[in-house]
This record gives sequence, structure tokens and C-alpha cells, in this order.
Amino acid sequence: MDVIVEEHVNPDDLKKYEALYRDQERRGPPSDKATFDYAWCLVRSKYLKDMERGTSLLEDLFHNTKDEGAKRDYLYYMAIAYTRTKHYDTALKYTKAIKRIEPNNRQATQLENYIKEKMKKEGLMGMAIVGGAALALGGIVGLGIAALAKK
Amino acid sequence: MSGSKVDVKVVLLGKSYAGKTCLVERYIHERYTGDTVPYHNTIGAAFGAKKVTVNGKSVVLGIWDTAGSERYESMSRIYYRNAKAAVLCFDLTDKSSFDRVRFWIGELQDHEENCKIYLCGTKKDIVDDDSSHRSVNEREAQALATDVMAELYETSSKTGENIRELFTKVAQDYLENLKPEEKADSFNLEEKKGKFPCACKES
Repeated sequence: MDVIVEEHVNPDDLKKYEALYRDQERRGPPSDKATFDYAWCLVRSKYLKDMERGTSLLEDLFHNTKDEGAKRDYLYYMAIAYTRTKHYDTALKYTKAIKRIEPNNRQATQLENYIKEKMKKEGLMGMAIVGGAALALGGIVGLGIAALAKK
Repeated sequence: MSGSKVDVKVVLLGKSYAGKTCLVERYIHERYTGDTVPYHNTIGAAFGAKKVTVNGKSVVLGIWDTAGSERYESMSRIYYRNAKAAVLCFDLTDKSSFDRVRFWIGELQDHEENCKIYLCGTKKDIVDDDSSHRSVNEREAQALATDVMAELYETSSKTGENIRELFTKVAQDYLENLKPEEKADSFNLEEKKGKFPCACKES
């Protein structure tokens, strides 16, 4: 799963699919395919702004399609996008939505497990930082007490 | 297994419902759920890795299982980039899936000439049970394989037949086609392992 979530887009691909999208945009509403290809490149960008732009394109696609299969796929890529931007709770909502359509969907389960693992790791890391800060604070208070005792 | 230590990038291509995901499931996880879990087409692409040992050397295959649906054609193009091997899957009971193989052959010949092609006819158990279900005859498939210097395998993800053989061949071909300097590298590694066993211990 890490390979799917963490890979970065090749900048040439991003440029290529952006150009295709812009070209269609000039002539009218871009096709779903052009929009999806561009959105998927944006989602895999290194930059937060691109990822957010990709997510909002996916959201538009999701709301504008009546094709159930396509809806499922957009949900999956939105889940990946939210995972990449560390909005894990939102990402989990999307994987749950996929499982409402297909309860046995293995890709959704794998992504869910990946997100939960990430949350666990990053949660522990957060605790470690808070713990470290408490220790440091304890140290300062300790010093203060020591200084008072000297007086 | 994660993708960090992949030696050989392998991509599976073919029409939807040709059995690509079942093939990977059987190979990597040694399971078959085609009879119990309803069919889902793959979203975009999935990835799995497996270590194979050939003649005492181990190789990690990183397998990209692509979606057959045409919505993902551009994505599949991105995933076959720099692949060392492509397994083109077709359903032995569906002629149109065999026609799709020709499309992928054309794509690969135009864009990835260094990618070795393997043809894989799936669902062999069905045609073994009742030959009237066969829509792609072996002679025709073999002729196409010979044309493009590919190997042809007929597999069954239900029974597991020929699947290990197919991927072992992919690993074997990779090892045989390593450039001399790459080969030298792997030999050096082995020598070091022998001389300094401590260096290999993980801390």
C-alpha cells in the first residue's frame, strides 16, 4: 500500500495531463477522463496546493457522475488524497463509503489498514513529543525550586 | 512487503475480468477467492511484491496489477514505464480479451522495447473441464507468442497450475539478462557476505 500512497508523480506527466486538461477547458467543459488523469497527477504531487486542487477536482467528478463504478473509484482516490494530506479521519470515511458499495473490496481494506497504522505511528510520535515537553517543563520547575531553595 | 527493495518491475496488463488480480492473489498470497467473493474490478492499480529464489539467487518481483477498464488506460501507461517484464493476460474463454493482448503488444513495442513479454491465458480449469468453453486456441496463442518472442503460459488461479512456473521464469530471465557489471555487483555482495559474516547482521 505504501507504494500506491507514497509515490510521487513524474513532473513531465503532470505537465502533460495538465496541458490536455487546459486545452479541453478552453473549448468547453473537459471530459471526465481528462479531468481524472489530471486530478490523479495532482494528488500525487509533492505540493499540498496541488494535492488539494486534485482532491477538489475528484470531488466534482464524484458529484457529477451517475456511473456507480466511477463513483467508487473516485472515492478511492479521494481517500488516497486525504491520506496523503494526513486527513486520516476523512480518508477513513471514504474507505467506509467504498465498503458500503462493495463490502469485500480488498483495496479499500488495505488502504484502511495503512491509514490506521499511520495514525497509530503518528499518534505515538505525538505522545512522545508531549512527553518530552513535560520532561523539559519538569526540569525547568525543578531548576526553579532549586533556585528558590538556594535563597 | 513494501516496494522499497524491488529488483524486477513486472506489470500485468489485459482486459477487465481476464483474471489479473486472481493471478497475483494466487501467486503472492496462495489463495483463491473467485468462488466465494463477488467479482470487483480493480481500482486503478494495485501492487504486491514477492521474493523468488532461482538457482540460489533471490530476486524480489514487484508486481503492478493494473485495472483493465479503459478509464485507466493512461494510468496503465504510466505503470508499464520501465517495467522489465509484462504479463499480458487473456481469458481463454473470451476471444475479445485475446484481441486486447494485441493492443498491449503494440503499446509495449512502441514505448518499452526492453520490456520482456509473457502471454498468460487464464482460467485453464474451465477449459480443461469442458473444452467447448475454449475461445482462444492454443495454436493461435502460441503463434502470436512466437511472433513477439514471448513465452506462453496457460494458467489456473483456481488450481494454481503453471503460476509459479510463469513468475519463476520471469525471475530467471531477469537474472540471465543482467548486464555484466550488474552481475559483478551481485557476486561482490556474495563474496563480502562470505568473508565478513558480521557485516550482514542487522543491528
